[in-house]
Amino acid sequence: MSDQDLVVETVKDILSGFEPFVLTAERRWDAGLWSALADAGLTGVGLPEEAGGSGGELADAVAIVRTLAAGAGAVPVAEQLLVAGPALLAADLDLPSPEEPTTFAVADGVTVHPVDNGDGPGRFTLSGTAADVAWAGAARHVVLLVPAPAGMEGAVLALVDASSLPADDAANLAGEPRGSLVLDQVAAAGALLTDAQAGEVRARFALARSVQLAAALEQVLAWTVQYAGERHQFGRPLGKFQAIQMELAEMAGEVTAVTALTDAAVQSLDRGENVVPAAAAAKVRAGAAVEVVARLAHQVHGAIGFTQEHKLHHLTRRLWSWRDEAGSELLWSKVLAAGLLAGGPDQLWPALTRAV
Amino acid sequence: MSNSLTLAPAPRSEAAEQVRAEVREFLAAELAAGTFQTHVDTWLSGVDPAFSKKLGERGWLGMTWPKEYGGHERSAMERYAVTEELLAAGAPVAAHWIADRQSGPNLLTYGTEKQRREILPRIVAGECFFVIGMSEPDSGSDLASIRTRATRNGDGDWVVNGAKVWTSNAHHSHYGIVLVRTSPADPSSRHAGMSQLLVDLSLPGISINPIRILDGGHHFNEVVFEDVVVPGDMLLGEEGNGWHQVTAELAFERSGPERFLSTYPLIAEFGRRVAETGDAAQLAALGRLSARLLALRQMSLRIAAALDRGELPNIPAALVKDVGTTFEADVVEEVRKVVDVTPSLASPDPLARALAEAQLHQPGFTLRGGTNEILRGIVARGLGLR
Repeated sequence: MSDQDLVVETVKDILSGFEPFVLTAERRWDAGLWSALADAGLTGVGLPEEAGGSGGELADAVAIVRTLAAGAGAVPVAEQLLVAGPALLAADLDLPSPEEPTTFAVADGVTVHPVDNGDGPGRFTLSGTAADVAWAGAARHVVLLVPAPAGMEGAVLALVDASSLPADDAANLAGEPRGSLVLDQVAAAGALLTDAQAGEVRARFALARSVQLAAALEQVLAWTVQYAGERHQFGRPLGKFQAIQMELAEMAGEVTAVTALTDAAVQSLDRGENVVPAAAAAKVRAGAAVEVVARLAHQVHGAIGFTQEHKLHHLTRRLWSWRDEAGSELLWSKVLAAGLLAGGPDQLWPALTRAV
Repeated sequence: MSNSLTLAPAPRSEAAEQVRAEVREFLAAELAAGTFQTHVDTWLSGVDPAFSKKLGERGWLGMTWPKEYGGHERSAMERYAVTEELLAAGAPVAAHWIADRQSGPNLLTYGTEKQRREILPRIVAGECFFVIGMSEPDSGSDLASIRTRATRNGDGDWVVNGAKVWTSNAHHSHYGIVLVRTSPADPSSRHAGMSQLLVDLSLPGISINPIRILDGGHHFNEVVFEDVVVPGDMLLGEEGNGWHQVTAELAFERSGPERFLSTYPLIAEFGRRVAETGDAAQLAALGRLSARLLALRQMSLRIAAALDRGELPNIPAALVKDVGTTFEADVVEEVRKVVDVTPSLASPDPLARALAEAQLHQPGFTLRGGTNEILRGIVARGLGLR
């Protein structure tokens, strides 16, 4: 058993004690699951020990995120392990304790001012509204990517203590908190990023959602194949009908395409390459697969899959949400194409072979 | 997901990137010299024996085969890079395509020493071309229903009677690997009693008749066998093992970049148009197509890596071909939705020409090498449903 398999088994063991539930304003995340993961050191995996993390590889962190996504775990692990943590480290900022949930958001509606209180650079005050913040109200800290102060290029990455910020009850289609945080002269540590660095942080966020999408798509396929084998109509399992087989094969094609591309994009990130084209492609491809896989999964499951009592909605509602988060297919498809054409109109093919 | 569908990610291959650069340089020089023009779907329609010979001279045919048969003992990943570059450039590769992709590996696995020594070096040189003799007038997707028969005569030779169809470029080819019944059909064991014969297409009794595709192009043929005497030593592999051998070819036949790049030249022209207009809807469409293409590359590369490990991943190959050929066909519609252009083979606009070529070849993509319905049946088996 590889280290990664061991990590996956550990997460699965923990998950087995925390069934997915319908998220509501009263119970908006799974604090118990988070505590269990944090106690096992899993909320710091992939982040170096000297920075306060648990050590381990990017691949380990991805394995954790995938397992939690497939299990509909309502915790900000993807944000912390794949986006906020690495972005803070890349910007030479201190990590909060990995046991306290840290989320990430792009906040174009927030303005930032540098403060020189005699301790040198790296202190900012932030004001405005950060909208669509994943796990707003649940996360102790939020890493915000905000436009640079007027007259400066790039963006500021700031680590904000979110514990005392009011959050509204906005949620995505799966009930996951996506509220707004109102910042009024909030002091925070931060760092100025170049446009390219800010672009990479956005791409990391998109790749994190792609990883979650890939895992959830795989799980939905597995559930659907299983259901087609168990459910009998006209005296035989649904899966024996050719019409159903065609649908399941189409789902498998979509899932395999997403997995292959997402895995390759993660490897590209791991090699330290420019992750923007790979992440953009992965997000677009994963988002496109959602339409086919969620539609056919519900079609094969029939009416029971359309109910709240059946588990299918835990993942299909997340799929419908995640595909538009961290940048929609429309946004990333334009980023991808513009990047591929940047070398000139005759350089599309060479750009494609370098992209992932 | 069932393990039969998943493959490990492909490793990076520096050697592949090296040979990719060499092929790119070669193609740029050939294009500049005017030895070929870019077209859509050139692995069916771009027959140019002189071009095939040039590829042979550069060591780009039979790349993965043992040196003792003229091959170059390079990896499937390197071969992948070469074939991908040729297809993306819309280069004329049809003459040698089947021999290099499929017939050569088939001979390596099942051929006799004599067959290998005589034929493989000629394929490597780009001088010997092959056709696949599987489908028949009454046997399309139901391949096991073939009726072409081979019977032993008193001299131990095979006497072949029947007809094969959709044999691409038989009129330019030297050999066919022909699936025949060597025992009468047995309803209790449909896949038994078939064998593969290595047939010299110049033998007496063979007639090759054109079957024009809908744009009038002559690529397909009907190959009719009338009492054709095939020497007894031209049996390929084992008598009665034909079905198994045909199945083993499929990982090669179904997984390569030709299963998603047949319409790439249209994407390239579309890209030039988008670069010119900067139109947002066109940019988004190009991004969507690119993301699908990049996913297919990774799927196909995983299969190349599996071939390097000595595996024959038939089920993932079926999956790649289903997803890839659907993509090839979709390119036409995706481009049409965002560009106001009338397809025309004679247009001075290269985008209009590429669109016309792609449209007229489109029906073939999801049929050749196993219809997508058949492929999905194979995938369903991989999912454990059959």
